[in-house]
Amino acid sequence: MLHKLFKLNNSRGVMGLNQRNIELIYPNNRRKFYQYADDKVKAKQILHSNDIATAKTYAVIDRISDVKKKWASCKDYQSMAVKPANGSGGGGILILRKDQTGLWKNGGKTISETKIQHHITSIVSGFYSMNSQDSCLIEECIVPHPFFAEIYGDGVPDFRIITLKAQPIIGMLRMPTSKSNGKANLHQNGVGIGVDLKNGTLTQTYDGKQYLNCHPDNPEPIYGKPIPYWNELYQLAIDTAKAFPLDYLGIDLVIDADKGPQIMEVNVRPGLGIQLVNKIGMSEAIRQHFRA
Amino acid sequence: MKSLNHFRIIFGSLLLVALALLAYKMVVLSDSIGDFFPEERFTVSYQYFLRTNDETAKIKSFLPKNSARQHINSKDHQQPDDVRFHKLADGNNIKGVWTVPTKNSYKKIDYSFEFQGKSKSYLLPETFKNYNKVNSKYFEETENIQTSNPKIKALANEIASSLTTDRKIITGLFDYVTKIPNEPIITLTDAVSALEQNMASCNGKSRLLVALARHLGYAARLKGGMILNTANTRQSHAWVELYINDQWIPFDTVNNHFAYIPANYLELYENDEFLLTHTAGVNFDYNYSVKKQFNIPFIDASSEEISAIIPLSLLRLLERGILTYKALILLLLLPLGGFIVALLRNVVGLKTFGVFLPVLIAFSLLKTGFFLGITIFLFLIFIIGLISQPFSKLGLLHTPKLVISLTLMVVIIITGSYIGVTTNNAWLGSLSFFPIIILTISAERFSTYILEDGFGKATNMLFQTLIAVSVCYALLSSNILASALIIFPEILLIIVVLSMFLGRYVGLRWSELIRFKPLLNLKTI
Repeated sequence: MLHKLFKLNNSRGVMGLNQRNIELIYPNNRRKFYQYADDKVKAKQILHSNDIATAKTYAVIDRISDVKKKWASCKDYQSMAVKPANGSGGGGILILRKDQTGLWKNGGKTISETKIQHHITSIVSGFYSMNSQDSCLIEECIVPHPFFAEIYGDGVPDFRIITLKAQPIIGMLRMPTSKSNGKANLHQNGVGIGVDLKNGTLTQTYDGKQYLNCHPDNPEPIYGKPIPYWNELYQLAIDTAKAFPLDYLGIDLVIDADKGPQIMEVNVRPGLGIQLVNKIGMSEAIRQHFRA
Repeated sequence: MKSLNHFRIIFGSLLLVALALLAYKMVVLSDSIGDFFPEERFTVSYQYFLRTNDETAKIKSFLPKNSARQHINSKDHQQPDDVRFHKLADGNNIKGVWTVPTKNSYKKIDYSFEFQGKSKSYLLPETFKNYNKVNSKYFEETENIQTSNPKIKALANEIASSLTTDRKIITGLFDYVTKIPNEPIITLTDAVSALEQNMASCNGKSRLLVALARHLGYAARLKGGMILNTANTRQSHAWVELYINDQWIPFDTVNNHFAYIPANYLELYENDEFLLTHTAGVNFDYNYSVKKQFNIPFIDASSEEISAIIPLSLLRLLERGILTYKALILLLLLPLGGFIVALLRNVVGLKTFGVFLPVLIAFSLLKTGFFLGITIFLFLIFIIGLISQPFSKLGLLHTPKLVISLTLMVVIIITGSYIGVTTNNAWLGSLSFFPIIILTISAERFSTYILEDGFGKATNMLFQTLIAVSVCYALLSSNILASALIIFPEILLIIVVLSMFLGRYVGLRWSELIRFKPLLNLKTI
């Protein structure tokens, strides 16, 4: 009875968490390989060894005794991102840039080298990972391509492409809004913009409640707007998926102003909100892809 | 394909084993399956000790009968060979008579039975039907029930004068007698003395109520028996029955039971009688040995009998005292509660603090009662959340911070209990009933969610957890379910089977029906 009720309404093949876990994650992602996606350091090792475009790794620190030495080796870069390898929800990430006088700035505020080293020590002690220890990743800072600023200028936007057996199935562009505090996550007031994978164009915006034809902070319509470097992005997702021993992946990509498409990170349990953004169920998207 | 076969084999064999065991036990127990569903079970033993002198002696006592709310089983009497026992009908009552023909001898007599009882409450109509063929003795004056005594008459008339319906009048009489202070007087107290002394035991108060009721024309009688609790006692009890709309309805003015009889009331006789009489001039002593028994409502057999006929019941664990009843029930219901939470998470889509936390919280509520328990739980969670805030801001590592929360929890519980005891506040006094670790984990989860997702979302999740707790509580507080699991522990295998089923469920969760509503309601283009 309940089943019939679902089937009657679910002509778009919407997939729930139960089905995603049983039919996509469990058969395609073996648990012992989760670490290659969950741990940012391990993920980057795989990306680098397969020559996949991603932010350059400046240093990996996994012992407190190494903090001083490794920091010294990074000091000459003009900007960098400091991240916990196993953080969650963006916690513990520090974006550092040098100003003209050579002082480090984090989000407009000056931060002393002692403070930075203290932060790295906290990361290594596992403060952001719920573990007793973690690794700290220091990497190149990505400068978003002007394409993103044409839609909305602040924060860190990225593309999410979900791949099944190295085939892109569904994708979206996640954008921060004036209400989202720089975050692009849908449940933190960011918006999702659907992506037409075949044509490499944007479709509609979904803000968690309703569909719009533009970004909430920018009246310019976006439907059909072409995505720069689309073929490269698409190919990069395929290459990344092939490089990991995981057959169902959520791949996060950005376009760097100078270096073009880059992989940000990969995710073993990509969320299901992407179905709403694209107005299509996951089951239906998979069916369409593998039929075509 | 291979995993599907695996699934079928495990699924099938577990189901088969469980059903086979269940079927076997059902067949064996089929003779013992009862439709009485008692709430309480006791064994009662009358023990008489006597020494005869130059004469023979007799002991008489009332024996229990079956009624709509009590069942008497396995009557057993042991007495020396020369003591003769016979039963005697005495109106509606049954008397046991033991005759000792031997002079100058010491005798020990034992009469035991099992009692199964149900509580019963009655609704009184406003106006009672006219009496039809009621024995006139239920309206008459007796030596100790002085219906025509001027004081009794005056009181009855005064109470009834301002009241308009039968129900109100009975309530008025009952309340008056109930308010008379209870006094453990062993000697006989008649109705007038009870009224005059304004202090009486069960028999005095009961006689007074009967006298008042009879004076106003209501059919009334005394009822005698015992209130059963595990003990060695000599105490019997008396209460009142009023004949209302063709049935006798119980009233106990000592324990304030209005038209209600508790499950542990053993009914032995009606009318103004003595439970025990014996020939004068013998040395006599007696004792009632009462013991509460493990009760399985739907099985009409004692726990010894059940564990004798079926293997693999867990009664033996209880009999040998390896586990207490409560500990065993907790163990057995834990998987069931877990399954319910799984169902709520995977089918309904509730988000709860941890998987088994709702079950554990529900167990804690069994001690305090639902509403008091929930209130205490919320109170402690919020207060811990509040006072651990300053510590959260210090940037401490996770485990040491947990220790701080635990310590604060202990301090609050002890302080609360202390204040509760000194100020006689039952609410604060029951704080310590909650398992501290469970509370601390809940509080910790709550404050972590506040930090990660904000107060609104954390409260939302707390609320969903409480829904799961309520569902678990409803299930866990069922007596029948608990005792069923003790006799049929193979139900646990069925839980495994059901969980395997649930583990393959790919349908949308109810919460996802709401989340994906825009997609589910869109018609195909």
